[in-house]
Amino acid sequence: MRTHPVSREGRPGRAGDQSLVEESGDAVVRASGLRKVFGNVEAVRGISFKVAKRECFGFLGPNGAGKTTTMKMIGCVSPATAGIFHVFGLDPKRSLRQIKTRIGIVPQEPNLDEALPVEENLTVYARFFNVPSALAKERAGELLSFMELTEKRESKVADLSGGMKRRLLISRALMSDPELLILDEPTTGLDPQARHLVWDKMFELKRRGVTQIVTTHYMDEAQQLCDRLVVMDRGLIMEEGTPSELIEKHLGKEVLEMRLPSELIEVIPKNDPLIRGYDTYRDLLLLYSDNADLLLDRMKSKGIGSDYAMVRRSTLEDVFLKLTGRRLTE
Amino acid sequence: MNPFKPVKFSPRQAFRVWQREVSVYKHVYRSTIISNLMDPLIYLLALGFGLGAYVTRIQGLTYIQFIAPGLIASSIMTAASFETTINTFVRINFDKVYEAMMATPVTVEDIVVGELLWATTRSTIYATVMLTVVAALGLTQSWFALLVPFMGVLGGLMFAVIGLTYTSFLKSIYHVNYFFTLFVTPLFLFSGVFYPLDSLPQIVKEIAFFSPLYHLVRVIRPLILGNVGIPVLLDLAWIIAFIAIFTVVPINLLRNKLVK
Repeated sequence: MRTHPVSREGRPGRAGDQSLVEESGDAVVRASGLRKVFGNVEAVRGISFKVAKRECFGFLGPNGAGKTTTMKMIGCVSPATAGIFHVFGLDPKRSLRQIKTRIGIVPQEPNLDEALPVEENLTVYARFFNVPSALAKERAGELLSFMELTEKRESKVADLSGGMKRRLLISRALMSDPELLILDEPTTGLDPQARHLVWDKMFELKRRGVTQIVTTHYMDEAQQLCDRLVVMDRGLIMEEGTPSELIEKHLGKEVLEMRLPSELIEVIPKNDPLIRGYDTYRDLLLLYSDNADLLLDRMKSKGIGSDYAMVRRSTLEDVFLKLTGRRLTE
Repeated sequence: MNPFKPVKFSPRQAFRVWQREVSVYKHVYRSTIISNLMDPLIYLLALGFGLGAYVTRIQGLTYIQFIAPGLIASSIMTAASFETTINTFVRINFDKVYEAMMATPVTVEDIVVGELLWATTRSTIYATVMLTVVAALGLTQSWFALLVPFMGVLGGLMFAVIGLTYTSFLKSIYHVNYFFTLFVTPLFLFSGVFYPLDSLPQIVKEIAFFSPLYHLVRVIRPLILGNVGIPVLLDLAWIIAFIAIFTVVPINLLRNKLVK
C-alpha cells in the first residue's frame, strides 16, 4: 500500500538539515529579483530565494501576497516578467519542455478533466508526459489505492466530493514521478482524515528525495512539513528561515495571551526584561517571552489581572501574524 | 503582435492533445454522432424528396443528386465549427482543460495544433458517414467519391482555423451564436449547396468567391458525380492556399490569450 509505484531508490532526507542543503549545492529553483507584472498590477515585486534538492520549501502569506503567481512561475506555466530565474539549472525561456517534464503541479483550483472518469483523468494526464500506458495504468492503480479512491475509479469527476477531487488532483500530479512537486494549498477544504492522508504522502515523497514547494494557510501544516519557508506579503518576501528559527528570531519560546480593556493595554509597562516583544489587537495583548509563566506571575504581582490569561508555546502562526499584520488584507 | 508569425510546436505533444480528445470522444460518440448528422440528413431527405418532387432538373441532375454533395460539404463545416467554437470555449473557460495541459510538457502551440487536428478528425468522420449514407441512397456516380474523406481533412482544417480564430476573440459563450447566424448559416445558404449561384446577381457570385464552403462544394460535387476537371484543381488550390496562409493565425492569437 505505502510503496510508491516508482522504482526510485529511497534517499533519506532529514528535515531542516542545513548540511544536506549545502552539500547538494545544485539548487532545484534559484530566483533572484523575480518579478511578475499583470497590466499595471505588480503581483510579485522582486523576490530572491533558493530551493535545495530534497527540501520541502514553504511559501506563506495572506491572500493576494503573490504566492500563487510565484508558484505559476516556478511551474513554468506563467513566464516571469523580469529577474534571474532557473529551475533545475535551466532557463524556462529556453528549456520549457525539459523543465515541465520533471515537475508535478497541484493547482489551487481543481482543474480535473470533467469529460473523463476518475482513472482516465490519471492515465490521460500521464500521456502528456509520455509515460508508457502500461506503467501509467499501474501507477494510477497504486495512487488511487493510496488516496483511497479505488472505488471511485469509474466515477465521473462531477460526482466526487471536494476532498476527493483534491486527492485526485494530487494523484494526478504524481503520475509522471516528478522530481519537483509544487502544491498550491494542497489541504484547503480537506477534512482532518484526508489532511493526514495528504501529509503522509508528502512525508513519504520527502523520504524518497522529491523536492516539494508548498503554499498553505495552515501554520501547523507549514511547521510540520516545511524544512524552510518564506513569508510573503504584498509581492515581497518578508522573512526566510526554518520554522523554529523564525519563532526564535521574532518571538521567543512562549506567548502570554491576555484579554484586557484596551485603556489598560496601553498603560501596561512593556519594558520588563522578560518581554521580548508584544502585539495588541483590539482587547488582546500578546507578550512574547522565553519564560511566560514567570512573566504572568510578575504581572499578577503588579496587580494586572485578567479573566483570560493563557501561557502557550509560540507558533509559526504568531510569527505570521506579527509579520503580515492581524487585519484582513482583502 | 504579428498573427502570421511562424510557430514552433512538438508533433508528439500535439498528438497527445489529440489523443485526449479521442479518449473523451469514446465516451460520447454514441450519443452525439446521430444528433450531429441528423441535421444534414433531414435536409437531404426533406428537401431531396419533398422539394425534389417539384424541381425538374438542375444541370441535368435530380434535386437530391444536386444537394447531396453540398450537404456532405456543409456537414464538414458544421462539425469543425462546433468543435472549435462552443467546445473549445468550454475547454478554455469552464473545464480549464488547457490550463491543466499547460502544467505538463505541452505548450499552447501543441494544444492549438492538437485541437485543429481533432476538429479535422471530427469533420472527416462526419464526411465519411455522410458519404456512406449518400452512397447507400445510390447517389454517388464515380469512384472519385472515395476521395471525399480526404476533403473532410482539408475542409475540416480550413473551418477549424476559422472557428479557432473566432474563439480567440470570444469573451462570452453567448457570442458563439453570432458565428453561426452571421457566418455559418449564410455560407450554408449562399455557397451553392441548394441551387447553382447562376441565378443570383453578379455581385453575389463575386462574393461567393470568398466563401470557403463554396470552394469545398465545388470540389466535392464533381468527386461524387465523376465530372472531375481543371476547375476542381483551382478550387482545391484556393482551399490549400487558405490553410497555408491562415493556420498560424489562431495559434498566435490563442498563445496571446492563454499565456498570462
